[in-house]
Amino acid sequence: MVFSRRAALFSGGSMLLFGGIGYRLWQLQVRDHEDYQVRADNNRFNQRVIVPLRGEIYDRFGVPLATNRQNFRVLLVAEEVKDIAGTLAEVSKIVDLTPQEQERVLREVQRKRAFTPIEVADNLSWEDFAKVNFQGPKLRGIHTEVGYTRDYPFKDQTAFVVGYVGAPSDVDIDAVGDDEKTERLLRQPGFRIGKAGLERSHDEELRGKAGSTIVQVNAHGRVIEEYPNESDKSIQGGTLGLTIDAELQMAAMEVLARPVIEPKEGEEPEKISASAVVMDVETGDVIVMASTPAYDPNEFNVGIRQSLWESLNKDPLKPLINKPLAGNYPPGSTFKLITAIAAQEAGIKPSHRVHCGGRIWYGNRYFNCWKRGGHGTLDMKGSIKHSCDVYYWDLAQRVDIDKIAEVAHRFGLGETYDLGIGNQSAGVVPSREWKKNYFASTPERQTWFPGETLSVAIGQGYVTATPLQLAVMTARIATGKQVQPRLIRAHADGVVPPPASPDINIKLDDLIAVRDGMNAVTNEWGTAARSRLEDPDWQMAGKTGTSQVASLQYDARGNRIKNEDLPRHLRDHALFVAFAPYENPKYAISVVVEHGSSGSGAAGPKARDIMKAVTAKNPSALPGFNPATDEPVKMASLAYELPASTNPGGGSR
Amino acid sequence: MNTLVLPDRRGGLRKNLAAVNWWLVIFLSLLAATGVATLYSVADGSWTPWAANHIMRYALGLVILMIAAFIPLRFWLSLSYPAYFFSLGLLALVPFIGEVNMGAQRWIVIGGFQLQPSEIMKIALVMGLARYYHGLDFKRVSNPFYLIIPLAMIGLPVGLVFLQPDLGTAILLGLSGVVVILLAGLSWRIVIVGAILGLMGVVTVIQMDLIKPYQIERITSFTNPDADPLGAGYHLAQSKIAIGSGGVTGKGYMNGTQSQLDFLPEMHTDFIFTIFGEEFGFFGTVALLGLYLAVFLIGTNIAMKAKSHYGRLVTMGICITFISYVLINTGMVMGLAPVVGVPLPLVSYGGTVMLTMMAAFGLVMSTWINRDQDTLRTSMSYYGRIN
Repeated sequence: MVFSRRAALFSGGSMLLFGGIGYRLWQLQVRDHEDYQVRADNNRFNQRVIVPLRGEIYDRFGVPLATNRQNFRVLLVAEEVKDIAGTLAEVSKIVDLTPQEQERVLREVQRKRAFTPIEVADNLSWEDFAKVNFQGPKLRGIHTEVGYTRDYPFKDQTAFVVGYVGAPSDVDIDAVGDDEKTERLLRQPGFRIGKAGLERSHDEELRGKAGSTIVQVNAHGRVIEEYPNESDKSIQGGTLGLTIDAELQMAAMEVLARPVIEPKEGEEPEKISASAVVMDVETGDVIVMASTPAYDPNEFNVGIRQSLWESLNKDPLKPLINKPLAGNYPPGSTFKLITAIAAQEAGIKPSHRVHCGGRIWYGNRYFNCWKRGGHGTLDMKGSIKHSCDVYYWDLAQRVDIDKIAEVAHRFGLGETYDLGIGNQSAGVVPSREWKKNYFASTPERQTWFPGETLSVAIGQGYVTATPLQLAVMTARIATGKQVQPRLIRAHADGVVPPPASPDINIKLDDLIAVRDGMNAVTNEWGTAARSRLEDPDWQMAGKTGTSQVASLQYDARGNRIKNEDLPRHLRDHALFVAFAPYENPKYAISVVVEHGSSGSGAAGPKARDIMKAVTAKNPSALPGFNPATDEPVKMASLAYELPASTNPGGGSR
Repeated sequence: MNTLVLPDRRGGLRKNLAAVNWWLVIFLSLLAATGVATLYSVADGSWTPWAANHIMRYALGLVILMIAAFIPLRFWLSLSYPAYFFSLGLLALVPFIGEVNMGAQRWIVIGGFQLQPSEIMKIALVMGLARYYHGLDFKRVSNPFYLIIPLAMIGLPVGLVFLQPDLGTAILLGLSGVVVILLAGLSWRIVIVGAILGLMGVVTVIQMDLIKPYQIERITSFTNPDADPLGAGYHLAQSKIAIGSGGVTGKGYMNGTQSQLDFLPEMHTDFIFTIFGEEFGFFGTVALLGLYLAVFLIGTNIAMKAKSHYGRLVTMGICITFISYVLINTGMVMGLAPVVGVPLPLVSYGGTVMLTMMAAFGLVMSTWINRDQDTLRTSMSYYGRIN
């Protein structure tokens, strides 16, 4: 019975294989069931990140400097539309859509899944948005959405304080490390992180906390159902209240940008590259930190156009440099204040008199005072009032460079401050030690020569400082306290009390002579008599500075070429520092006009005009904004106008 | 070669119906009902496009089964060679008038009906081979000379199906052919030699690049589907997740997340077992396997009881073809066999498989009804065999 044997063999074999199938089913459905259950759930449940609203930045009175503007967007869902090009044509009747933009949408339709919304247009005006909504039922597949974009209402005016946001780069995402949720947040389309200024340094505080929601998706990624996660809601980032006064900041920007020389008929007014810092001398609050020209941070938010970036980068006025913090200038005669204090600490009395004949012989050459005919005989106050170089060359021969450096540091030069804004320059306060380090690779140049002290004594040579440092120096001279500048005055939970400023280790008498000299500069027909403040309650004491950029330039006959006849980039920098009122000081200011030729001509009047605005408002005396209790100021209720757009051509639709 | 055929027993319809093996009909109907229910779920609770059609096809299949059952076995015997050559002809037509579907030419359209000749061939080949061995003296079965014709009968359709290309069906076809030869009593020595030769043949085929890359990929992917979840192994990984997540009791009818959310491919045809497994769990799948096993055992029983050599060869061949469908299909969706495109008979949606399977079980039924008759009483070979 061959057949029966074989048939039985096959039946048995088949049943054996059936057993195998059954065993496999047991493996999958009984033994490993839980594992597969998890994998099935992973398949269909996705965690979606909910992007938190970014914290807002306000000035000291609650005026918004960085906010989240509603962004009206038009989206298209391809699977709902039969004729995409036709629909786009319909939309373009309401919203201005260039053929290129329509093509971009069509390209994205090809690339993305049919149910993924594609952005057709964003930043719509309210009217256009309302029109699209009104037409909605007719425009199948066209959806509207209200998102948020970062908005800087003061545009370029506060650019260097606030900074800007941008899409996270690969480097930013790599820096997150193992935090998967943060990484996913950073990868959300449209998510922005701080790229510069306070937006960058306080990014973590401003960013807020991402929430999450669970969505059930099908195999194609389409969301079938959404389950909100009550315990993991997104939380808006913290508010920042700054020390800046937006109104005064705008005033300062306007003053700084004014041409120094009145433009002649039919001539383009000259472009100014300048910076100013105004500080409350008691609290250290930086009320104005202006740098002109600047850029519009709104341009960076959506990704700056290449052409604009290049023109900003190539501009000789350097609109991308935050000059109050990163501008490194020889302080010129403003440094004489430090030299004078150092000399007194070295035992020289303010009554010390020096005769200025216009020049002195030192080493192997003449040193020429800025005034060719000489100043005659001056005491210390007079030397400040007239900014006599010879007087300080005399002091330089009596005071050691290391003493000068030590005083300079004590008054805030050569230091950086915790403002939360990077790229601060420390400036240079030269000393023997400094020179040794600076020329570490060339030992033969490490020796300090007494002649170099002469240059430093009048703020030339190696010494450099930033406008912020000069403002701090002035505030410290005005108060005798170790004033620390600050930009943040409040967080979401309330106002931060200003840090205590301990007294500077100095004899008050040593400061009085310097303050007297500064008073004489403006109020007793000194070098900046034109920059005097008339208000008797707000008498301003100042010091001019004109610092050489290059070695002195001489013409063929050996005469010094006047600044006005030099090319712009060789002209002297103009500086002015001041505090007001002279009695009981409240505010300190420093102004630097790059290549402004003369401290008294270019910087002094600007400082005067800014200080006039500051003292007229006296912001420190007004109640400040407390984010924990106060409502922010509504833009519409501002007593002053917002800046006009810096680039009338592009930007918003 | 023609034989003397004795007149059939005459009987009324009632007598015939009484002779029908109703257990076989019941289990086949349960399988078809499982198919209908699953197809209804796959379509998200809709009779269209599959479930209603499936019912109609099964009804038609049942009619065909009954007609085939009442056709005398000797008539089937005489029809075997014509059926074989007819099917071979259809297969040969495929390259010329076939429809291309998913990169393979498998379908031809005749009178508005889509036909898959390779599926018809599976039954026709069994019939043809059974017919050959029915007329062959048992002493000659293991004579290599008499192996030439059956091997050619297998080789021709297998080659044609392989060229479509449909590797899965080609393998199944060859398998059922070889099974019939083995059932006929081929000596194991020759089987071993043949197996070695066959292995060498497979190696040659692979080395000559006759197998398309996607076929190799499909075959190799089942060994490690997780390595490339979105590529060749994606479907397999998803189908294992579906079956495994079903657990012991299943997610409930129409509640399979894997299937309702489109994670599974070809849910209404080759991967229907995964949806069933997801929704009905281990109890459901074991019960379904039980139904198949029941059909198989009923068929085997019929083959054992049949006196006709043709009848028992055909019945056993059909049963083994049927069960290899089930084994390969379930094995493939669970990662035990390569994904080769074999449907789950009577449950998967597909007209040709359904109707040929039902026709084949009609033949089995005919064998059952005529089990006491020997179709070739006068043949010399018959006496040689029973000794």
